[in-house]
Amino acid sequence: METGLSRAALGRSAPVAPATARLLPWFAVLAVAALPLLPFANKYVEAAVVRALIFIALGQAWNVVAGIGGQLSLGHGVFLGLGSYATGILFNLFGISPWLGVWAGALVSLAVALVMGAMTLRMRGIFFALATVAVSLAFDQLAHHYVDLTGGDNGLALRFVGTSLWAAQSRTPAPFVYAGLAFVVLYLWITRLILASRFGLEMRAVRDDEIAAGAAGVRVFRTKLLGFLASAAMTALAGGLYMQFYQAIDPESAFGLGQAIQLQLPALIGGLGTAWGPVVGGALMILLSEATNWGATKAGMVGVDILVYGLVLLLVVLWAPQGIVGMLAPRRRR
Amino acid sequence: MNSLIPVGQALLSGILVGGVYGLLSIGFSLAFGVMRIVNFAHGDLVMYGMYVGVAAALFGIDPLYAIPISFVLMALLGAAQYRFVYRRFVGAPTLQQLLAAIGLGLVLQMIAQIVFGADTRSAPSMFAGRFLLLGPLFVSAAQVVAFGVAVAATLIVEALLLGTQWGRTVRAVADDIEAAELVGLRSQWINISAFAFACGLAGIAGTIMVTYYPVDPSKGLTLMPIAIIATTIGGLGSIRGSFLGGIFCGVIQQATALLWNSALQDVPLYVLLLLFIAYRPTGMFGLRTE
Repeated sequence: METGLSRAALGRSAPVAPATARLLPWFAVLAVAALPLLPFANKYVEAAVVRALIFIALGQAWNVVAGIGGQLSLGHGVFLGLGSYATGILFNLFGISPWLGVWAGALVSLAVALVMGAMTLRMRGIFFALATVAVSLAFDQLAHHYVDLTGGDNGLALRFVGTSLWAAQSRTPAPFVYAGLAFVVLYLWITRLILASRFGLEMRAVRDDEIAAGAAGVRVFRTKLLGFLASAAMTALAGGLYMQFYQAIDPESAFGLGQAIQLQLPALIGGLGTAWGPVVGGALMILLSEATNWGATKAGMVGVDILVYGLVLLLVVLWAPQGIVGMLAPRRRR
Repeated sequence: MNSLIPVGQALLSGILVGGVYGLLSIGFSLAFGVMRIVNFAHGDLVMYGMYVGVAAALFGIDPLYAIPISFVLMALLGAAQYRFVYRRFVGAPTLQQLLAAIGLGLVLQMIAQIVFGADTRSAPSMFAGRFLLLGPLFVSAAQVVAFGVAVAATLIVEALLLGTQWGRTVRAVADDIEAAELVGLRSQWINISAFAFACGLAGIAGTIMVTYYPVDPSKGLTLMPIAIIATTIGGLGSIRGSFLGGIFCGVIQQATALLWNSALQDVPLYVLLLLFIAYRPTGMFGLRTE
């Protein structure tokens, strides 16, 4: 699938920035880390920051397969759901610590991604995209149906044991600020590593022109599959964090289209295929969603957030396909 | 012998429901076949077509008479979509095109929710509540009529594409847009007419469907996977393939409901989609690999 972003995205992989600009991100990390200590911090602000961090991490994971790899996964909710459900079910039913349970979710996600990828990634991108839709809908029906395991329509509520490191639970959002920050920094580092590596170059080569990449010696199918697997595992692990913070998951917020879009917007708004795009985009998306929910509650309307997401998706794709980071990055000379 | 009755019943209901699935799939397939546009908002146009039937019923008009109005309205909506969104994506289903279609679908769905409300509505036609007996099997008259309309519409589409000058120009542009322009065809107008036509078919499918299947704003999303699966099984871009794919989907749904569980009636379809993508991506009737 051609993305049409190729040239600009390649130019962005090694931005030349003065020292102060390079340090700026680390000030942002420090600022978020210090948030719970600040006098004006309250649970509401902290929870909003955690939401932003979780969606930045999820967006970063989606960015790997879609932004860098050019394979449009519309079903990343599957991996978010598997990570969340596995963590929650293992804890609720067997008392297994989420620190272990989340890895089970990641393993299941890898297995599902392997089957999906092996079946669909040999073909051009459109079939992969269609297949991801089908797989998330299949999981949606299964999650609705197997009530004993998943809680069905009502969803799965995490058994709450109070603040505990072993159970990775907390009465206050403050610990999740640090957990979310750790995820964001780690995923940002992984993304930059991928972008700078031979593997990242091969992924972008496949994204920009499969036939040319194949002719140049890139093993196209293997590259696409590895990118998808990495992205799926990253999403499932962040799904564990999602479960611990929200303490509940239901079929709609795991496998629904609304959630699938929420996973895509950070990278799309911020800039597909860039390391910093999902960070900027995720923060903006949560600001937007908070503002929308506030406005919608005032106006007494429901579902406005989905309308806003749809509009933003449409506007970004039509008029700002490079995203914010893409527009700010120095343009390549033609 | 008696044990065969439920099987025959499932088969018959599956074929009748599947015919309408087929009609809603051929519009989706046509847009892909001609312009390489994957219109994820197609299901939402079907949903609007269903509301046209509901609106007609409110005015005391039989929804079946509203079919031409529905075709025209959805064709106009489709032309607008093409003009403002899809025009720049003709030729290849890029990541941006798929995302734009999803955004458009969400916007259409939420507008429907704001305008019509989230409640479930229905629009019974003059055939509602009547049943036909075929030996031991019985079928709803509304479904038989809907199936008849779907078959007629599909035949008309095939005839238009194969037998008219317009159909020939559409197929020429689909085959090779540059060569078509070189011999003097104006591809933008041909594309916009073909896309509007495909969307009009979604309108027809919606209006006949609402005579036996209630509508709410999320129905577009519910029906979209059926169109995707029917089209992939039948062959992306093939009209008769998509129609038969739709019938196939209907039969599989009913068979699953009979043999396994009606709550999971779509799961085998999703598995089938994966198998077709892996082993036969051109479907049963598709001509070109993509």
